[in-house]
Amino acid sequence: MDEKTSLRYQLISAWCGPAFVVTFVIFWLILGHNLPNPSPNLTAVALKERYLGNLGEIRLGFIISMITVCLYMPWSCVLAGQMSRIEGKNMPLLSYLQLIGGALTVMVVSFSAMFWAVAAFRPDASPETFQLMTDTGWLCIDLQYACTTLQMVAAALVGLADKSKVPLFPRWVCYLTIWCGISFFPASLTGVMKTGPFAWSGVLSFYFPYFCWLCWYSTASIFMIKEIRRRMAVAEPVGSSRLAAA
Amino acid sequence: MPVELTAPASAASKSALRLPGDPDIWFLIFAELMTFGMFFVAYVGYRALEVDLFNESQLSLDRTLGVINTLFLLTSSWAVVTAIESARKNQLKAVPRYLALAIALGVGFMVIKYFEYSAKFAAGISLTTNTFFNFYFALTMIHLVHVIGGTIVLIVLWSNARGGKYHAGNTRGLETGASFWHMVDLLWIFLFPLLYLLR
Repeated sequence: MDEKTSLRYQLISAWCGPAFVVTFVIFWLILGHNLPNPSPNLTAVALKERYLGNLGEIRLGFIISMITVCLYMPWSCVLAGQMSRIEGKNMPLLSYLQLIGGALTVMVVSFSAMFWAVAAFRPDASPETFQLMTDTGWLCIDLQYACTTLQMVAAALVGLADKSKVPLFPRWVCYLTIWCGISFFPASLTGVMKTGPFAWSGVLSFYFPYFCWLCWYSTASIFMIKEIRRRMAVAEPVGSSRLAAA
Repeated sequence: MPVELTAPASAASKSALRLPGDPDIWFLIFAELMTFGMFFVAYVGYRALEVDLFNESQLSLDRTLGVINTLFLLTSSWAVVTAIESARKNQLKAVPRYLALAIALGVGFMVIKYFEYSAKFAAGISLTTNTFFNFYFALTMIHLVHVIGGTIVLIVLWSNARGGKYHAGNTRGLETGASFWHMVDLLWIFLFPLLYLLR
């Protein structure tokens, strides 16, 4: 593959980042009726009614979001490639860690939508079934954030060690990444809390950490796209290598 | 004589203007302070709805342990500052010694918290008991995670200092880690009166 084609694929993969954010907001958050999301304190009957009242949108939202969440994959791959360049001749340990963290994040997010899609599958099921699947989906995504935290910490550590003239990430982005990773910690409290700001529908366990996650992801995407554009600017045109060969 | 007087003075004013450590660490510190600021506002807001419950529940907290932990963190911050001072004076052996003291106090904080939590659980009080204890456990646990993270940072600094990495010519890494540790201390200075003392 010539350099220009490779760079084009890299650019498309980096743009999968913003595409993920947009589709996640549209399908997972809005169509999936997760804005605001159901309170864990809701009775089983009220929860079932919430599903039945919006069955079509919820089904569409979660089924599509299980596809679009995979946009996170090429994005993680291009970041791994950019990070391994910084790690240089050393073992690309942190690049691997970031890649595997990104891959597992896809599964964590995907399985949340999966459980809710199952809940919406049989509208005649008992309210308790709806409740169980809803609980499973939320605890799945809210308690398993450490995969994403490790992905972010790995990216930040490599970013801080970047000695390039124009580094991949400015240092403040690396610290933003660490901070956003830390912001997930309150989400562990969703395993116990049913009301208040630390429940899975609360400000400090839902709105704040999810905002931080998308904020980091969008910011990192911008700098990754910039990096590829810089490389595209200095890359030789496709024709010139052929000319040289001839 | 006047020359001698002005030289250190200008050096001092320069260092007073400079942010210690990696300037970008202050982005993280500022963001963390904002985050905890949000927690504190939420706490005060929820407290206003159930003042009596909060005041009554607060009585079951062990203030003595809270005061001991405050002293632990303050002393460990002093130890970190002294470690930096030692590095600036090229007293290389003292640097890891003071950092070890700071680490020991950080661990001491965790041990006290363990006893404090165990006593609460033994008394049948948990995260879900009421809104006050929601906040008490949530905020102190999130802070404890910061203490653990900060202690790991101190251990890294200690290990580097033992290798003689920090001296008068290089205190940047030491200052960066120390700034984070002071922030952990500062957060507790806010947390302690809010949870244990505010009536």
